[in-house]
Amino acid sequence: MLRKGITESFGAAIQALNAIHLTDGVITRSKRMMLDTLGVGLLGSRTAVFSKALKYSQVFTSEQRSSVWGRSDVILPPHYAAFVNGIAVHSMDFDDTWHPATHPSGAVLPALLALAETLPSQPSGLDLLLAFNVGIEVQGRLMRFSKEAYNIPERFHPPSVVGVMGSAAASAKLLGLSPAQCSHALAIAASSAGAPLANAATQTKPLHIGNAARRGLEAAQLAQIGVEGNPAILDMDSGLGVYYKDYSPSPLADSDSGAFRWILDAQDVAFKRIPAHLAMHWVVEAVLAARAKFLDRTGNFDLSQIQNITLRVPRSKYINCPLPTTEHQARHSFQFNACSALLDNKVTVASFSQAQINRPALRELLSKVQLETPEDNLPSFDRMYCEVEIKSAEGLSSLARCNTFYGHWRKPLSQKDLEEKFSLNASTVLCTEGVEGVIDVVGNMEKVTECSVLGSYLRMTSTSEQLYSMRIM
Amino acid sequence: MTRVEKPHSDVMQDCKRNLPFLLLCHKSISILHCSAAASKRNKKQDHCDRNLKSCSPRYRKPSDQCGLPEDCITLQWRLNNFYLFIPAVQKHPAPEDTVTASFGKFISEIKPQHLSPVVLHRSKRMVLDSIGVGLIGSRTDVFELALQFCQHMYAPDHISSVYGRRGIRLSPTLAAFVNGVATHSMDFDDTWHPATHPSGAVLPALFALSDMMPANSKPSGLDFLLAFNVGIEIQGRLMRFSNEARSIPKRFHPPTVVGPMGSAAACSRLLSLDPSQCSHALAIAASLAGAPMANAATQSKPLHIGNASRLGLEAALLASRGLEASPLVLDAVAGVAGFSAFYEDYVPQPLESPDDGGHVFLLEEQDMAFKRFPAHLGMHWVTDAAAAVHELLVGHGLGQVSPHQVQDILLRVPQSKYINRPFPESEHEARHSFQFNACSALLDGEVTVQSFSPPAMSRPELHFLLSRVRMEHPEDNPANFNRMYGEVQVTLVGGDILKGRCDTFYGHWRNPLTNESLRKKFRSNAEVVLPSEKVERLVEVVEELDRLDDCGALLSQLQ
Repeated sequence: MLRKGITESFGAAIQALNAIHLTDGVITRSKRMMLDTLGVGLLGSRTAVFSKALKYSQVFTSEQRSSVWGRSDVILPPHYAAFVNGIAVHSMDFDDTWHPATHPSGAVLPALLALAETLPSQPSGLDLLLAFNVGIEVQGRLMRFSKEAYNIPERFHPPSVVGVMGSAAASAKLLGLSPAQCSHALAIAASSAGAPLANAATQTKPLHIGNAARRGLEAAQLAQIGVEGNPAILDMDSGLGVYYKDYSPSPLADSDSGAFRWILDAQDVAFKRIPAHLAMHWVVEAVLAARAKFLDRTGNFDLSQIQNITLRVPRSKYINCPLPTTEHQARHSFQFNACSALLDNKVTVASFSQAQINRPALRELLSKVQLETPEDNLPSFDRMYCEVEIKSAEGLSSLARCNTFYGHWRKPLSQKDLEEKFSLNASTVLCTEGVEGVIDVVGNMEKVTECSVLGSYLRMTSTSEQLYSMRIM
Repeated sequence: MTRVEKPHSDVMQDCKRNLPFLLLCHKSISILHCSAAASKRNKKQDHCDRNLKSCSPRYRKPSDQCGLPEDCITLQWRLNNFYLFIPAVQKHPAPEDTVTASFGKFISEIKPQHLSPVVLHRSKRMVLDSIGVGLIGSRTDVFELALQFCQHMYAPDHISSVYGRRGIRLSPTLAAFVNGVATHSMDFDDTWHPATHPSGAVLPALFALSDMMPANSKPSGLDFLLAFNVGIEIQGRLMRFSNEARSIPKRFHPPTVVGPMGSAAACSRLLSLDPSQCSHALAIAASLAGAPMANAATQSKPLHIGNASRLGLEAALLASRGLEASPLVLDAVAGVAGFSAFYEDYVPQPLESPDDGGHVFLLEEQDMAFKRFPAHLGMHWVTDAAAAVHELLVGHGLGQVSPHQVQDILLRVPQSKYINRPFPESEHEARHSFQFNACSALLDGEVTVQSFSPPAMSRPELHFLLSRVRMEHPEDNPANFNRMYGEVQVTLVGGDILKGRCDTFYGHWRNPLTNESLRKKFRSNAEVVLPSEKVERLVEVVEELDRLDDCGALLSQLQ
């Protein structure tokens, strides 16, 4: 028998994977990802970049209508709902991160919810979970086709490469496409992949996730009406291989052979506690520890005593930003996150407001930061660490190190903390009934008969949201 | 075959007549607030400027792209410093000397009087050819699917027109998409050097955007042509940032890399965005660029051009709403790839300011190739060589080619995997097959639109010939449209050997189609879709495009 092509094996698996293949571990983990994604998406629907994208998207109309999370009054064509909700999810860089590094959920969940609303018969919660996991799994598999991808990237922003493929796979699953159509969906999506890293730390980075969601959904629908691409897109260096320098693809195990294992079972995701690039979390924890030690020694905390701050972090140019001027740069600055933590004893959503960024005390501290990139500190979320050393003018010194921050996959957020993060994020937009409803629906997702119930809670906005939306109009 | 076009004397005469024109000089970002009155106020002054400059086309030696020019090293050094000393930069927020900023400034500040007569003439030929292939492309399966998709997924939006479909209008970005798909659906559109299909990414976006503008303030024909040329120029400049890009590509399909950038640039120009918005539009477009070569020879390849057109327009519209992206996207910054992500050997260079008099449009120096039949450009060499052998065979035998006379067919062509397809199964594969095109020409004496129809493709005699083909890739035949050749050597059953060779096919930039041939191609394409009065009207309108007060006269003829 001929060996199956790699793309073919993906097409077959996407079609064949079934709810019975979902393990308890995968169900639990993916429900946590959904809840977190909805929370950061709701919060993100208050950002400037979201407003710009929404206004642009409202130019389009369609018969099929999908909702915008946290907006009771806005309806968009499904592609544009996926687009703006995806942007909301990544607008603050607050969404989940996997290993090898990508933000997996933001490309998938907005596409699925937008698509689900348009389907003639409503998918069940279990259908949604299955399609979601297919989208996550495909991203994880593709990330493993390159060793280079294990490190923090330098060329393409990973969610723009694997995200659109994940969205296409998930959408193809929810649409019930045939194995061949699933392969073509991946091929069409590959032509929509790849955005350069230079747009990280700008307003355009959130668009990468929005576009991944939108164009993956589009690829699945184009495949559904019969558009074809290269059926060996994953097999070839001139296919998905163009995005990597060391591309080495392998087939996906047959889901009925017993050899199939979900990557999510073996590799959990990291949930962020601050709306910033994941690497910032090591820095913030290390600084808070060093700050406490410093305080122990000196009794009271006086910034003027600090002579210099040394950060020992991995070498990664796009998150080394000595003096950020915009919120997007601040979310990608080791220096900024270290100084905010030192100054305020915490880093929160509010830390990234323009007023906070411009504080003279913070600028003063920033001028005292030195960055070191030790050889043994690798730019990989699985292996990096952060060491912080604070020195005072009198020669006092305080050293702290973070190997694994709370929220990292080795030290996962408790369910209570995850729900608290969600509530805090969601309640900026939804009323209490909406917030609790979402927690309840997601928590029982595998038992929900129609996943549309989730959409109804996502539209239960608080009055302040309505006032807010009126103000920005 | 030396059908070289005459010098553009007619164009020079046009120039001496001091062309009347209208300028779209509103500074407002919002297209709904274009001010026709403002346009007219500035008209006189610009007219004077134009009189001073327009009749002196400037020539310049092509600059050496192979090495790393000294000024480029300086620039990179400066960029590194810029990175290290951000505090200093903050006091001067706009780093004017970056490559990215120079592009933004160029797009924003270029004016109609910078278009030389040669550039005007060549770009009008591109516009006419692109409309023609778009019109015939609106009868293809892949176009039908793309249109169905847009109509199924979106409500009717009575804004932008679709090639050859009266009564159908779509949202501007969707119209740009389907018209772009139509343009590349048969691989019949123009090809430049270094290799890309420049017009299909730009023209549909500009049509869609012009349709969006209110009837009383449409861009003039000259503004339209300026925006078109900006879109072409930006693609050409970007292609020259990499030596690799001079050869037939292996990784990314070039129109997906430079195409969205060209479309974004052209739309930004037509929207009169400011320099910083223009550079943001390019940076937003860069995040939408890049598709793998593997999708060549599939239905997804025409989608590449459609998406380039659509996404570039989208990038310009988002930039006009204030969306920001990397201000260094075109610059080479180690460790954080921008546009360099798409190339292995990226060396960017700033674009000269149009006002310093140092800028010459690339189109002035490097003309376009127009295809005579709907297939990959590389097929044109092998087809002309095979047609020559066909003539010999016909003379040799009974007036028609009998496949069973043929013992062996040897093709000497460049090595390029994606156009080497011994037994193509779909029309898209056939358009990318040296073997198919050589055998069709051997059999029929030519390759035409009909050659790719299912009945023509399934002929047993054609398959017999295909089974006789061998390929060689001589060292001196590089995969480069400026240097490649095609050689066909047929050995007959009796042992006779017939040879044909093509160094420059008719339609190549070294041997351009005459205006007459170009119009003939246009008419035969357009007449498939439009009544002949409209076809003739289009020929006239495009010819006088730079003198039209309102490009609406062109827009109204497309469907």
